[in-house]
Amino acid sequence: MSSAELTPSEAARWAARAGLPLPDDRHVAVAVTANHIHSVVAALRELDFGDTPPAGAFRAQEGKHDAAV
Amino acid sequence: MQPYELSLAAAAREIRERRLSPVELVDSVLDRIEQVEPHVAAYVAVSADHARRTAREAEREAAQGSYRGPLHGIPVGIKDVIDVVGVSTTASSRTRAGHRAASDSTVAASLRAAGAILIGKTHTHEFAYGLTTPQTNNAWDRGRIAGGSSGGSAVAVASGAATFALGTDTGGSIRVPATLNGVVGLKPTYGLVPRHGVTSLSWSLDHVGPITRTVDDAALVLTAIAGHDPRDPASVAVPGVDYRPGPEPDLTGVRVGVPRTYYFEHVDADVAASVRHAIAQLEALGARLIDIGIPMTRYIQAVQWGLMVPEATAYHQATLRAVPELYQADVRILLEAGELMGAGDHLRAQRARTLMRDAWARILEEVDVIAAPAVPMAAVPSGQETVTWPDGTVESVSDAYVRLSSPANITGVPALSVPVGRDTAGMPIGMQLLGRPFAERTLLRVGHAYERTQPARSLAPVT
Repeated sequence: MSSAELTPSEAARWAARAGLPLPDDRHVAVAVTANHIHSVVAALRELDFGDTPPAGAFRAQEGKHDAAV
Repeated sequence: MQPYELSLAAAAREIRERRLSPVELVDSVLDRIEQVEPHVAAYVAVSADHARRTAREAEREAAQGSYRGPLHGIPVGIKDVIDVVGVSTTASSRTRAGHRAASDSTVAASLRAAGAILIGKTHTHEFAYGLTTPQTNNAWDRGRIAGGSSGGSAVAVASGAATFALGTDTGGSIRVPATLNGVVGLKPTYGLVPRHGVTSLSWSLDHVGPITRTVDDAALVLTAIAGHDPRDPASVAVPGVDYRPGPEPDLTGVRVGVPRTYYFEHVDADVAASVRHAIAQLEALGARLIDIGIPMTRYIQAVQWGLMVPEATAYHQATLRAVPELYQADVRILLEAGELMGAGDHLRAQRARTLMRDAWARILEEVDVIAAPAVPMAAVPSGQETVTWPDGTVESVSDAYVRLSSPANITGVPALSVPVGRDTAGMPIGMQLLGRPFAERTLLRVGHAYERTQPARSLAPVT
């Protein structure tokens, strides 16, 4: 297990911090799944993003996405 | 030929010419549902009385010379994450017991206005969060998976239990089941079809689209459901278009990109052979084949998960805390684990998405469409959880089915899946056509041209 991986008790603590208390019998399964997800998304840390902004759909004016100013 | 066997376009022609009444068509489809439903379980609920009543109204309208268009009197199955007023949107989940939709989703309202008749709500993998739809059986082999998450919709269309259907697609959930059941699936450009009134899996990746018997049918449905609705923040105002392809199967001048990376890697040999054969057909129709590389392939799954996992968990925040035991085990664990993803990972996925969209846009300046396998392998037996590739790599079945679909969800480009053959077990294989944003007409033109070179496909002989 790498040092970045969560133990079952750490997973339970992180979930509790997120407002999701986990029953004891969920700790191992959640840790395994969370560690797997983390191992997949961690690849994104290799990328050089420069000034690239995040993709997003926020617009200041609701419902006027094509309005001419 | 029985009315339930007709494609949408053929049924529309018969109804317009007054050779077939909507009542006859709806009765035929309802009879077919009674025949096949015990074997395939495509529907959460069938609205037989309502459908017959609406069909009589459609018949009266037609008799009075009022014809709403090609969907007039056509029975549709709607995936049960899409709201229909007065009907429960169960999302195939016990957490939704007692739900009633207070109003129509935008797409349901569009179909209703176009004259389509809701015949029932179709099964989804719970909350669209999975690739198998375990409640439903494949239309061609009930021992195999339907695919998901729009499994009920695809099986209904493939077995004659709906003339067409709607699905949703967050990582392949239209194209995967459509392919595994030998029918056509279209994931439109992100923002083209409004999602108001559709239960979200992942706001930034969700799409609504048709599942049909033919490419021509998909064009007819898209014409009815595309349009702007400001209640969906991603909805884009684009001019109304008739998406129906012309009859001429000439592809002279069309540049077809054939990926040398990613889309043909870890793909079943039968799938690769069938898709390459279909691509050769496109060339025979006049298309020019161009070798292309797919960018940033190492990061596709990371972006998909970095967006979808925390968004799905956020959507289910309240229910996951109130009644976690009511979710299916596979969905519950993903929702719980999603609470542990940091904001940094989610933002990196969003920034990588921007890079990926831009890189794909550059490729799509060089070609008009990209042709590739829709999924790496045909429908696997129910219960199979992994696939082992010839080089020894083991992949989960879900990861394999998402792998070739998710690039179109991430980049937002339109993607059309078209049946192109069978594997050695007789299960359907599909080709995927991807194009520039809002270039659905080009995809439909190419898909239709291919389809015209092939004999008409039959319905699944469910018994």
